[in-house]
Amino acid sequence: MDVISLEVLNNRLQAIAEEAQFTLEHSAHSPSIREGADCSAGLFDSQGRMISQATAIPVHLGSLEPAVQGLLRTFPSHELQPGDICIMNDPYAGGQHYPDIIMLAPIFFAGQLVALHCNLGHHQDIGGVTPGGNPTNTTETFQEGLCLPPVKLYDAGILNLAIKQILMANVRIPDTVWGDVQAQIAASHVAAGRIAALVESLGVEHFEAGIKQLQDLSERMTRQAIERIPDGVYSFHDFLDNDGIDLDRLVRIDIKLTVSGSDLVADFSGTDRQCRGPFNAVPSVALSAVCYVVRCVTGSDIPNNSGCFRMIAMVIPSGTVLNPISPAPVSCRAVTLRRVVDTVMGAMAQALPAVVPAASNGHPFSQRLGGSKGRTGRRWVTSIIGTGGMGARPAKDGVDAIQTDASNSQNIPVEFLETYFPIRVLEYSLRADSGGPGEYRGGLGLIMRYEILAEPVVLTNRGERYFSQPWGLYGGMPGASSVASIRRAGGEVEPIRSKGVFSLAMNDVVEVFSSGGGGYGDPIRRDPSRVAQDLREGKVSFAVARDSYGVAVEEGTFRVLGTATADLRRDLATSRTTSDLVFDRGIVGAHRD
Amino acid sequence: MTDPQFLVGVDVGGTFTDVFCTDGSRIAVVKVPSQRDSPGAAVMAGVEKAAAQLGRPVGEINRLIHGTTVATNAIVQQRGAVLALITTDGFRDVLEIGRLKRWSLYDWNIDAETPAFLAPRDRRLGIPERVDSSGTISTPLDEGVLRRSFELLLASFDIEAVAISFLFSFANGHHERRAREIIREIVPGLAVSISSEVDPEYREYERTVVTAFDAYVRPVVSNYMATLLRDLKTHGFETRLQVMQSRGGIASAEVASDAPITMVMSGPAGGVAAARYISRSSGNPNLITFDMGGTSSDVALVIDGQAPTANEGRIGRYPVRIPIVDVNSIGAGGGSIVWLDAGGRLRVGPHSAGAEPGPVCYGRGGTEPTVTDASLVLGYLNPSAFAMGEMALDREAATAALAAIGFKLGLSPTAVALGVHRIVNASMADQIRLVTVKRGRDPRNFALLAFGGAGPVHAPALARDLGIPTVIVPPAAGVLSALGLLTAEIEHERKATNISRVDKLIPEQLEEVYQRLEAACIDLMRRERVQAAECRLVRRADFRYIGQSSELDVMVAAPITAEVIRLAIEQFNERHARTYGYENSADRVELVNARVLATFSLPTPEFDFRSLGPAPTGRPNFTRLAVFPEGELDVPVYSRSDLVDGEVLDGPLIVEQPDTTVIVGVGQVIRLDSSGNLVVTI
Repeated sequence: MDVISLEVLNNRLQAIAEEAQFTLEHSAHSPSIREGADCSAGLFDSQGRMISQATAIPVHLGSLEPAVQGLLRTFPSHELQPGDICIMNDPYAGGQHYPDIIMLAPIFFAGQLVALHCNLGHHQDIGGVTPGGNPTNTTETFQEGLCLPPVKLYDAGILNLAIKQILMANVRIPDTVWGDVQAQIAASHVAAGRIAALVESLGVEHFEAGIKQLQDLSERMTRQAIERIPDGVYSFHDFLDNDGIDLDRLVRIDIKLTVSGSDLVADFSGTDRQCRGPFNAVPSVALSAVCYVVRCVTGSDIPNNSGCFRMIAMVIPSGTVLNPISPAPVSCRAVTLRRVVDTVMGAMAQALPAVVPAASNGHPFSQRLGGSKGRTGRRWVTSIIGTGGMGARPAKDGVDAIQTDASNSQNIPVEFLETYFPIRVLEYSLRADSGGPGEYRGGLGLIMRYEILAEPVVLTNRGERYFSQPWGLYGGMPGASSVASIRRAGGEVEPIRSKGVFSLAMNDVVEVFSSGGGGYGDPIRRDPSRVAQDLREGKVSFAVARDSYGVAVEEGTFRVLGTATADLRRDLATSRTTSDLVFDRGIVGAHRD
Repeated sequence: MTDPQFLVGVDVGGTFTDVFCTDGSRIAVVKVPSQRDSPGAAVMAGVEKAAAQLGRPVGEINRLIHGTTVATNAIVQQRGAVLALITTDGFRDVLEIGRLKRWSLYDWNIDAETPAFLAPRDRRLGIPERVDSSGTISTPLDEGVLRRSFELLLASFDIEAVAISFLFSFANGHHERRAREIIREIVPGLAVSISSEVDPEYREYERTVVTAFDAYVRPVVSNYMATLLRDLKTHGFETRLQVMQSRGGIASAEVASDAPITMVMSGPAGGVAAARYISRSSGNPNLITFDMGGTSSDVALVIDGQAPTANEGRIGRYPVRIPIVDVNSIGAGGGSIVWLDAGGRLRVGPHSAGAEPGPVCYGRGGTEPTVTDASLVLGYLNPSAFAMGEMALDREAATAALAAIGFKLGLSPTAVALGVHRIVNASMADQIRLVTVKRGRDPRNFALLAFGGAGPVHAPALARDLGIPTVIVPPAAGVLSALGLLTAEIEHERKATNISRVDKLIPEQLEEVYQRLEAACIDLMRRERVQAAECRLVRRADFRYIGQSSELDVMVAAPITAEVIRLAIEQFNERHARTYGYENSADRVELVNARVLATFSLPTPEFDFRSLGPAPTGRPNFTRLAVFPEGELDVPVYSRSDLVDGEVLDGPLIVEQPDTTVIVGVGQVIRLDSSGNLVVTI
């Protein structure tokens, strides 16, 4: 195919994936897909190799192709018929966790299979021990909801009513779940119609040749970008606070990243054995993490298709946290993904010091609150979406309080929370001194404090970085750990240790201080006027300005005192010993209440 | 004395200030260069020039309607006021924290997503006070703390404007109004915007941002308007200066300056108003507007003769919650750069050469070929009659730049140019399709209204791709926004958040809310010298299913009764089904906002476009070699003013008009309709 037709084809394939994605988001019933856009739509060739994917949340990057391959193992493409729709949510058959229902539909033109459409929707409920499906304390997948092995929901256009009935009988909100399945079907119809029109205008042979050419092109472009990464073996490890069950045991994620020429091997062999709690993650999660980092390094300009993954080899021994054996629980894999991303970035930071930022907040808190209210005792449930600071970049401060890396959810307005739920928010602000000091400062975390105005209320906290700190890079210091507690109405303070389920009573106050981003570069090289500005804005305290940045500032005027600053910095430079380290991890393993 | 027929529309753009002027029988069109540092000077120059063309003094102008970028520029260039933001204690960082979400997922070098630059943390105060969700005051405003902390702030900063945004002020604005009084006691006459007036709606971040923007641009806008009015007066102008608001309606400069943020989409709103007018004059109730300029293209819909509005827009990444014309920017323009990427792909955009240095053929130092260079190489553009003859184009330079790319691909410059058109047309067709289907519509049921310098060059080709049967190129396509200004209505909207499950609504209470909003609208209309009896009042309500976070609005009849509410919910269910493909009639519905829109229609002038050019002859001026997908053809080139009413001409052909060029492909035909629109049938 000539270069011009190829570019037209590439743009059109992307537009078709986006239209399918839009159809899915737009016609879904549940907030998780409609508002949270927790879904993804892609197009695949008849062998199940990706040809385009709508810009999805990073957790879905690299997750669709393993799912398609999983479905094709049960339903080989040569056996698929027009009108077939296959679904599946089994993490041990190509899915990631039960709430994600994956749908595959063959696309035919003139009786010939020309492409496949696959989409994924995160459903609002899938049964299991808690509404919404992400409990932090399960010990087997059987507690996590309904398992759908690869099955045909439609067989040559005929609905398999039994599957629909089983699905609807096992979820708490059957109409919403079925509505979302229909949205997934609508997306597959849009994709099929557009692809058929495209194939009609190009001819099957031309279309297939063009797709192959695009996949080869992406491989070539990705390889070119990887070749610019210096060859070497880069090792790094990081920790999850715990697995939600054994609260005092860190979970180690370990990578040995080998770059040779244009090939990457991501070897996670040093990772801990699978854990008891639901923080295990099937291999496609680690693949998503690696793909995310590679895409950030190579640029998002490369057509997103299976050619982008061909040079990536994954080594993940069976029975580990990142390749668990069924029925090990996996529902909280999104949290694990964050730490795998940190781990891959840590390895990459050694190869590309001028590109990779210091560690970001690492999932400081997401909470679920629920109870019943009024005389009717109507149940209510809400989420509180939190984040912290972004890691500092090689030439830029980290952004304060923002979603980073694999996560991108919106918060819920205070005025929404207070209107609908028995909560009064007392404070929602930036957390001073939480950003890791550095030549470039890590982004600040958040402070959120709220009072409970009903009882009883159940709080589930899914947190991270309570037992470690987002690491600083190349002289930058780590961001502050997350800290959370419950200030009981009676006065006693009960710490929240990263994860857990708590019963709250009237006038109890929940306080969360979320982690900041790590710093980048030696703080004594930071422009003193920027330290003064941070002081003026109350983002950094006088003590930290003096002790970490070596900057003396006149109180009241915020004027930098030149001589005193030079003295402080000279003293710091001679008294410190750690400035040559690549990583500053701060404190690991100790919980500071 | 003013002449009621003598109207002037002035639209300020980045490169040119356009004036469209009519005195009932004649039309004058003027383009003068915009002046970045004193936009008002260009406005004056343009108005004088246009009036002179009609041989009339400025003093006889009855209405001058202004589309202005002064508010937008103050924001984009970050040249607004030194602002202080006053919030509820514990929430001063809401402006900076925002909604946490980021726009670029795979970019490690993003900047903050929130406009904290409006008021950095040291200019934000948290004051003890609290209103709860029902509007009840639970903590009284601590006036002492407010006074002390504001005075302290004044000691360190030359504060020029203040924004006040307290939690739940949409339910009870008493604290905000009291705080404003106190601020004005300390600094009499200071510009203060309060959120319960600017945007009385829930969601604290969005309300705070729009209030802060309002205060930020307030001094800039009022200075600009005062200077402009003074200059106009010295030229004898003494009547009404009106400005276009973001929603597509106009207001007197005085009233609009009270809520300056509503002017932020003033420019695009003029284009949409014009599209509404062309929709009527051409008899096409459904239009997709396609305004292709130098750096990007704007796309909007007209449905049943009406231009849909949105209740929230964006400036860059920042949300601006004001009613706004629903205009979508898509990524390609005449200045989009043609390049080869690392994989050897031929790419068009997203980078643009803009107006400076511009395409290679402008001869202003641009070295990278652009879409406009490709159009020139294909023979589509007349090198000696571009942009009203303001600029000579260098075809050789454009060819050389494309040849450099062609060399690497083994293609001739012409083949590259043709390829650039194929790529950019297909990609714009994709984008237009997405804009249309996202609003639940099928592009094939629309006509494409092409304007802007490059719109009519590409529109016939991409309409074919979209299955759109008709392309309309209006007269005066290059100053269409200025024309639109003369066709808009005076309008004002007021809203109130009133969250309530519909089964708990008390009709009498809701009626009171609407009457209060209507009274506020009527007050504003009085300031426009429109009497209550003359204005049309429309009630609307924003509903959603409980649990959703976005609303859909429907019309509501007056007075409110249980039956009216029932009908409105039915309408909402239908609208939801049309928009999202399903309705949840079983689900509980809640009311979120009540809105009233007051409009007053001014008489729409009849424009006689014949007065714009010499008498038609219907003869092609000459022929030109131009390259189409079918090959290189010698095609007739008509001057727009040569076309004769009703005559049908077969493509391929080219129509040149002073401000744009229409490229009509093989198998397409054109004719002029009775209103002077050029209609291309695909």
